[in-house]
Amino acid sequence: MATQPIYLDYAATTPVDPRVAEKMAACLTLAGTFANPASQHAPGRAARALVEAARAQVAALVNASPQEIVFTSGATEADNLAIKGVAHFYKDRGHHIVTSRIEHKAVLDSCKQLEKEGFEVSWLKPDADGLIRPEAVEAALRKDTLLVSLMQANNEIGALTDIAAIGRMCKVHGVHFHVDAAQSAGKLPIDLKALPVDLMSFAAHKVYGPKGIGALYVRREPRVNLAPLIHGGGHEQGLRSGTLATHQIVGMGEAFRLAGETLPQEASRLTALRERLWAKLEAIGGLRNSHATACVPGILNVSFPGVEGESLLATCSELAVSSGSACNAADAEPSYVLRALGRDDQLAGASLRFSFGRYTTEAEVDRAAEVVTEQYRRLKALIPAA
Amino acid sequence: MTDIASDYSQLVLEHFRNPRNVGSFPAGTVGVLTGMAGNRRHGREVRFEIRVAVGRVAECRYQVYGDPATIALCSLLSERLRGLSVAEARTFGIVPLADELGLPAVKRAAALVLEDALGAAFKSYNSVSQLEPLRA
Repeated sequence: MATQPIYLDYAATTPVDPRVAEKMAACLTLAGTFANPASQHAPGRAARALVEAARAQVAALVNASPQEIVFTSGATEADNLAIKGVAHFYKDRGHHIVTSRIEHKAVLDSCKQLEKEGFEVSWLKPDADGLIRPEAVEAALRKDTLLVSLMQANNEIGALTDIAAIGRMCKVHGVHFHVDAAQSAGKLPIDLKALPVDLMSFAAHKVYGPKGIGALYVRREPRVNLAPLIHGGGHEQGLRSGTLATHQIVGMGEAFRLAGETLPQEASRLTALRERLWAKLEAIGGLRNSHATACVPGILNVSFPGVEGESLLATCSELAVSSGSACNAADAEPSYVLRALGRDDQLAGASLRFSFGRYTTEAEVDRAAEVVTEQYRRLKALIPAA
Repeated sequence: MTDIASDYSQLVLEHFRNPRNVGSFPAGTVGVLTGMAGNRRHGREVRFEIRVAVGRVAECRYQVYGDPATIALCSLLSERLRGLSVAEARTFGIVPLADELGLPAVKRAAALVLEDALGAAFKSYNSVSQLEPLRA
């Protein structure tokens, strides 16, 4: 039987923690808490209680009030709701949005859709560190700007946006600020009572919860209004209709609770694993794309000079990692973020993103270093002298 | 994605993981034709060497920078040319090899780079009345 690759792609998704799965399973069958949380009878109220407890757990991780948490089908839907919701609700006040070229597709495509509807979007470019600076955001603001939308942690290189500074600046200018925290929630401390952020997107599946559930934080003080995307019953304060999936919500709550319990220790452990791998890859000529310190703990992005990117990724098939390009057999597109760092097409294409998580061991990291070392040398040996 | 198994055939994977005949002939080897094509800045570069003896391809060597399709094509070509007469080798169709490998449409440009490399190698065959030993 073929062994599974070593999984080093936690930034793409995570396995569900068994403790989370157990809580979820208790909400499924006849013997469990399966009723519709909107029903008025006892089983419905029991389901409702679990939903509200989970909502409080999600809120607690980010120091928000439970009433500020709206459950969605994931961070993609939360991004759509935040961006389109603000744009459509406040369209009589303005029609300009500021975001960046390096956002998740959910943000990029939502903004492109709004452009088709007549909104104007400013697409900020990252600086040479791959960061979107507060000064760049400020320079893009106009009198008719409704919203700034930026990710807190970049999914490719892990670089951290200074959302506190950008949030303060948005407040001064009276502009709503949305942050995609899919890669950062549960990995960095987030305090929404202190951070001047109006809207924040979360995904359960990045933090050992199930896929298919996320949330949008919607600030109440001062209140942020949104035009809902989905109608049909008025659930989640009218912002997101649809029968609440108790098992999914309970899963997300438990995942967020567990993440909060071990956040500082995990951050140190993952940082140590990251630096352990980096030391070995630096020794064979790798170039670091992720920032050494202003970075999410669990992401390491490295370019390998002199080899073709698709072959590099393919030859490391003992590892489950991502590449720095949206590369598959159909098309290859070097990463915008890596190009912004000054990497040429070859380096941007021949990059690997390693992302570590709860179940990553030192032995796995050491084996990953061996595999990359061996395969990088193998590919270099095939190449004609320049 | 690291699962190239979903993008490439088993034959490509076999030749990519275990490419045959990699390298170059030692300096001084008699009968070697060399052709280079492609540019690594554009993603593919091939140096293909063919050793001819008694009017036939005795063996091939190559060095390659490129994707798994390009590496697999080089490997397969290096096996298929062996034993062919110079006339047969000179006109060998590489596009059918791309078919045999089941390459997706977007990867078939690799065949053109190999055609150019082969063409360059046999061009040097025309211009010598006797094959010179390979220079270093």
